[in-house]
Amino acid sequence: MSVVRISMENCIGCRKCVQICPMDVFRFDTQIRKSVIAYPEDCQSCGQCYLNCPGHSLGFTDLVTSAALTAVR
Amino acid sequence: MYTQTIVRQTVETMEDTVYKDNNNGAVYETDFPTASESHKPAKNEYICDVLVVGCGFAGLNAAWAAKMEGADVLVVDKGMPGYSGMSPFASSHQWFDEQMGDDLEAFVREMVIANEYTANLDWYRTWARYSKETYMRLKDWGILDQYPTGEETGFHVDGDWRHDDLRGYMEYNARHDRRKCWIRTLNRFHIPYVPHTMLYEVIEQNGTVAGAVGFHVPSGSIITFHAKTVVLCMGGGSIKPSGFPTGCDTFDSDWIGYRHGLPIVGKEFDDFHFTTSYAPGNVLANNGWQYAENIWLCGGDITRQNLEMRAKRISNSLIIPRLKAAEEGLAPYTRSQVISPGGRGKSLSKKTEDPRTGKKTSPSPKGDAYGAAPGMHLHLGCGIWCGIDDLEGKTGLDGLWVAGDGCNGSCVSGSSYMNSTGFTSNFCSVQGYLAGKAAGYSAAGRELSVISEETLKEYRNEILAPMNRDVGFSPAWARDQLAALMSPYWVSITKTESSLQNTLELVLQLKDQVIPKLVARSPHELRSCHEMVHKILCAEMKLRASMERKESRGYHYRSDYPYRDDDYLCYLTITKDGDRMRFDRVSIKDEWKGNTDLPYAERYQYFRFPGEAAAKGLPEEPPAQMPWAGGSAKGPAPAEGNRQEGGK
Repeated sequence: MSVVRISMENCIGCRKCVQICPMDVFRFDTQIRKSVIAYPEDCQSCGQCYLNCPGHSLGFTDLVTSAALTAVR
Repeated sequence: MYTQTIVRQTVETMEDTVYKDNNNGAVYETDFPTASESHKPAKNEYICDVLVVGCGFAGLNAAWAAKMEGADVLVVDKGMPGYSGMSPFASSHQWFDEQMGDDLEAFVREMVIANEYTANLDWYRTWARYSKETYMRLKDWGILDQYPTGEETGFHVDGDWRHDDLRGYMEYNARHDRRKCWIRTLNRFHIPYVPHTMLYEVIEQNGTVAGAVGFHVPSGSIITFHAKTVVLCMGGGSIKPSGFPTGCDTFDSDWIGYRHGLPIVGKEFDDFHFTTSYAPGNVLANNGWQYAENIWLCGGDITRQNLEMRAKRISNSLIIPRLKAAEEGLAPYTRSQVISPGGRGKSLSKKTEDPRTGKKTSPSPKGDAYGAAPGMHLHLGCGIWCGIDDLEGKTGLDGLWVAGDGCNGSCVSGSSYMNSTGFTSNFCSVQGYLAGKAAGYSAAGRELSVISEETLKEYRNEILAPMNRDVGFSPAWARDQLAALMSPYWVSITKTESSLQNTLELVLQLKDQVIPKLVARSPHELRSCHEMVHKILCAEMKLRASMERKESRGYHYRSDYPYRDDDYLCYLTITKDGDRMRFDRVSIKDEWKGNTDLPYAERYQYFRFPGEAAAKGLPEEPPAQMPWAGGSAKGPAPAEGNRQEGGK
């Protein structure tokens, strides 16, 4: 369960998601002036970025999957 | 927990983006270049009178109160004030109102019996005294704006976030969004804030606070704070199964307090809210409407006539079904329903001018499994212990105050959190106000200490150590290991000596073998590394405290000691003593203990733990009402392709 990108075109570069995400999931690409979902593995699925995205660029998935547990990672 | 799969899945389903795989540093090439990590902030050293760490309800009120004392105040937050921690998700707010006929002694009596004689009544009475003015203040700041519900405006369909238009509703009510009020209020009172900065440690010199040190999370820059006094309002955290342990409340203040030799209290009662079994880690699915709609106004719902019945009902409905759900497991399909709280916490004053209408969130999923919300614990259960007579959050370290949920272990609701709806947001605001006022007042009589370069260098090395290791363990991997150890119900819910001891052995392996070798490949992971250290410490505390309390009480259930034992009618504190954790018992004041001369069956009459009746030779109680029974049953079907995880 995490934030996903629905449309990169719709990102208006407002940085709101970068600013408000409590889990530091986003970064801002200064070259293309758009946000990037850099650390989706730490998304806590609170949905604040999705609910507050003015361009409707972000979406949300409820897929639950799991990485294999290994001896080290 | 699901790093690799999510990365792969998002890459497959999205056309125009890039992802860096944090497992191997590889960049998935698409139409756009890799995101650059953030620039360093322009400023990395601050001087203030009062440093407030964390800005939820407690922090905002602490900052304001210190400012009103004339102090030069600075706020620092790991995220953005208004959006980080638990405060964005508060959905109800209670206050005590004598003018509306609230009867303090009825409220106090209910706290005594429902919390099994462990509630700190001095703090409770203090709350009642400051409660209404706190409500008025938050209302003035815009945090308690009232507006039509999702159901009334047509944005709500059936309580399933995939059908409801939550975002449309948020946009429709954008001017009321309470999250914006945090920064608006800080600006209004000219209180500067430093966002996205994790406070690592409070600096102590000659037994007094000299400031603090942390780092800007996006860039990894070290930030130094010179301050006369510090107020920690950093939230708590919870050892909980689903979604474990996401959330930014990661016991940061417990770790700081413990390092400075301050006692930590209440870890055996650390517990968590219910979540839906069909979407256990999905906060948006579980809490979407609570987030989007207004904070409901509550209070005035306890009277001398209803208090006994109420104590029985809430302890029965909250504690026993949780134990049963854990032990029995879940049905193949969801047992969670979409229900409306229907005005829970509504005032009984019958006065038309009383605005406390109770919680009326649009119908939402009702949890049937342990888990829930970002880092959410059961509120006010544990934290730094300031002493039995403390009423302002003054810690044993000169110049350091603590306030708020999970940070100040005031034990206001002891073992159980059997308060009326909406208590936490108001109580934390009161506690923040009192701590901020005291810290602001105290700062006026203090000089700034000079922090030596050598001290700062030591902290810098300590903070950046995970960035400087060539090989080691990823914090995400360590998190998964800890989750696997702490999640099973025989560790976290129905505890026994052997399950706790066995788990402790394994947690200590993590502590000894993994923690010293955590590696951060980015400043983002640096934060995760330090958070992991805090989580391990608190897992150990929770296990040891649960072993130390050989009885069952409130949210602490030991199936090998399934009864209350008044020899344990005390607060257990944990203090650092060299390399070991030392336990001390703090006596509970006589007035808070209720009538200890009553026979057992009468003193503890509201519910029976599983096994208690047999152990004590008492008649079994009728089965407890499941919280999901009744109401308008309407369980959403699992989404297509949605594999169920969590529960069992």
